[in-house]
Amino acid sequence: MAPTAAGDHVFTGARVIELAGDPAGEMLGKLLAQMGADVVKVEPPEGSPTRAIGPFAGERQDPDHSLTFWYYNTNKRSAVVDYRTDEGRDAFLRLVAGADVCITTLSRAGLAQLRLRPDDLRRASERLIVVSITPFGLDGPWADRLSSDLVGLALGSPLNSCGYDDHSIPPIRPGGDQGYQSACSFALMALLLALIERQSTGQGQLVDVGMHDCLAVSAELANPYWFYPKVLVHRQTCRHAQPTPTAPALFPCADDRYVYFVLFVADLKPWRALVEWMDTKGLAVDLLAPEYEDARYRQEHFGHIQDLVEVFFLLQTAEEAYHEGQARGLSIGIAYAPDDLFHDEHLSARDFFVTVEHEDAPPGRYPGPPMRFSDVAPVAPQRAPRLGEHTADVVAGVHGGDG
Amino acid sequence: MGEPQPTGSRAVRQRRGPLAGIRVADFCWMGVGSVATRLLADFGAEVIKIEDRIRIDTPRRLPIYKDEPARNFGEEVLDADPNRGGLFNNYSRNKLGVTINMRTDKGRGLAERLIAHSSVVSENFAPGVMERWGLTYERLRELSPNVIYARMSGYGHSGPHAGYRSYGPVVQAVSGLSYISGLPGREPSGWGLSYMDNQAAYYNSAALLMAIYRRNATGDGTEIDVSAIEAGVSLVGPVLLDVSVNQRSTVRPDYPTGNRLEWPHAAPHGVYPAAGEDRWVAIAVFDDGQWAGLVDALGRPTWAEDRRFATQEDRFANQDALDELLSGWTRGRDRHDVMELLQAHGVPAGAVQNAQDLNERDPQVAHRGVFFEMDHPVIGPARFEGNPFAFSSTAQDNWRSAPLLGEDNDYVFKEIVGLSDDEFDEMQTEGVI
Repeated sequence: MAPTAAGDHVFTGARVIELAGDPAGEMLGKLLAQMGADVVKVEPPEGSPTRAIGPFAGERQDPDHSLTFWYYNTNKRSAVVDYRTDEGRDAFLRLVAGADVCITTLSRAGLAQLRLRPDDLRRASERLIVVSITPFGLDGPWADRLSSDLVGLALGSPLNSCGYDDHSIPPIRPGGDQGYQSACSFALMALLLALIERQSTGQGQLVDVGMHDCLAVSAELANPYWFYPKVLVHRQTCRHAQPTPTAPALFPCADDRYVYFVLFVADLKPWRALVEWMDTKGLAVDLLAPEYEDARYRQEHFGHIQDLVEVFFLLQTAEEAYHEGQARGLSIGIAYAPDDLFHDEHLSARDFFVTVEHEDAPPGRYPGPPMRFSDVAPVAPQRAPRLGEHTADVVAGVHGGDG
Repeated sequence: MGEPQPTGSRAVRQRRGPLAGIRVADFCWMGVGSVATRLLADFGAEVIKIEDRIRIDTPRRLPIYKDEPARNFGEEVLDADPNRGGLFNNYSRNKLGVTINMRTDKGRGLAERLIAHSSVVSENFAPGVMERWGLTYERLRELSPNVIYARMSGYGHSGPHAGYRSYGPVVQAVSGLSYISGLPGREPSGWGLSYMDNQAAYYNSAALLMAIYRRNATGDGTEIDVSAIEAGVSLVGPVLLDVSVNQRSTVRPDYPTGNRLEWPHAAPHGVYPAAGEDRWVAIAVFDDGQWAGLVDALGRPTWAEDRRFATQEDRFANQDALDELLSGWTRGRDRHDVMELLQAHGVPAGAVQNAQDLNERDPQVAHRGVFFEMDHPVIGPARFEGNPFAFSSTAQDNWRSAPLLGEDNDYVFKEIVGLSDDEFDEMQTEGVI
């Protein structure tokens, strides 16, 4: 998709003040910055708490070398403002008054203590959109409770669906910061609705996002299974939690890696594709027999088929199985390790990863923006800011971002 | 099979919300596409879902039926009424529904006429399907200048694997999200849901809203390309930098770390057994203050004074012993009681809840009004998953439960497209609609 007019990003000219101390707020700021907004991360003198979270570049444990911070804060500016003092609070409110959006992840009590409640912020400007992201939202019986990514995923129910067939093993938290990421996604959608509303009304508003609410609607089939047949789903190893057990879908391959493949024996087309493929390796055995053209027969002999498919995958590498299966029209996936992603020819051809330079560490390979527009050039990637790197410019009112 | 007649309350009405006045010709189907355009329908857009009577949308077919026994989603019921599917109702509420047979010339012509009356077109077919029908971005711009064309796919619309087939679990595997989830030394536990059907849908909704926001400001339309795999990779997180900056491989025996964190050094941090069958409670202690709260909540057991647990780093280094001792205390206690007690002592803790807990006992979900109800002519009253955010002024416009198959053919093709009664009847007879 050929870029045309530069300086024509989605959020060109938009100013965002970010007071965020968790991945939900930081990822939201990053997505806005990647689309052209001027995002100023306001930090206390000791730095955002996220600067203390490892891993660290070259094991240098200081605020300017947290890879977690780097990941979630590309394309932002950093300004140190000690909003806990009267003078700092006034300076903070002046920044907010000139902004379109203020993102906060502080608790209700924390905002009240700082006299930076959403109403205090909104008094600074009627156009301001305040996006509050908290574990439980700003009201309700649990509003002041504590949470985390793990606790959030547990309470919101996605965790109940994740883990192993063996239920003596507890549910296992999916990797990354997916509880926070879910809250971020909803906050982004809500903010966009508020921005669109403001285009016709000129008025800002408060957007109150609770991670718990977000996760309570993010377990896919679990709620519909309860809304309609009133049944619960039970976790299974690396495949859908279901009301009744289903066959394993993760197959080990010759190179100790795994492919994900669900044997849908009901449909004839993928069945024929699979058997033809197995036959090329001499492993179709009796599956070529005419009885197997009948879906019911396949269903009755499912165990036998599954055994043969297990052997079939064990005798080839996961990479071979992935590409050959896909070439034959089967929906099969390889369980890539993060290391593998940088060598994937498809992601490379799409220039998905971008290289970001760091002055005193090796360059990083970062994911590019997850959405592409035909006539909008991507924003050039910039490393996360050092603590207070842009304080003077920000206080002097110099704009950053795209234009 | 006669279709129930729409009742008065299902008649099309003026929509409210920030997206009122935007008409979407929506070719989306399956989970990811249906969820992506649901948000637009919820906030006032006139989303016209275009369906195929021959190839019925999967959420209509998955056997999630009210007042019926448990079936896993592979156990489809032959010749089931497509209007009874609960998942479809959840995904397609507030949308209008029409049917077009795109295999016919007349059907494709009708689709073009509908697009000419729309300012957004959305689709999540395998790459090439829309092109086969002639519906390229260039053609769409001829039909509707400044159109927004939202294209959602597993792999994106360019690159050597653009034609690969995927759905949630395949996307999770290929993007790295499965591998990073599990106990060390075992197969990945990955995901028990199509997380990427949700997340890719949310990114697609956001991309659509970004395009609308930008068009409102500049007048320019755009073609959107969102790859679910790329959205998935961006959700893998900081470990990508541990690999690319520090050259530290994730292919190693102590990775991934199950319910423990590599960073920060939280401990205890895990999911602990509670009273009852397969009942669990999550506990996460990040600092000395929370540890002191936990020790108090447990009644100051002597083991908590062990020097192995003196500092956060000590506790992090001795998690095996700590987890065993803590499990000894949680086991036999009710998961919600443990949560209440620990939260009262300033410790992040939460019962592992299921859908029944969320729907029947969770006071926060009830207070925040996360779920809502609407009636459906075939299914009857049903619950829906709401949008989990609260605005001080914007409101969700719940207009109607999901459309019956072809429910709005008459309104859309006659009132919007402008077919005469005769043309409409002819297309119906010929199986075009």
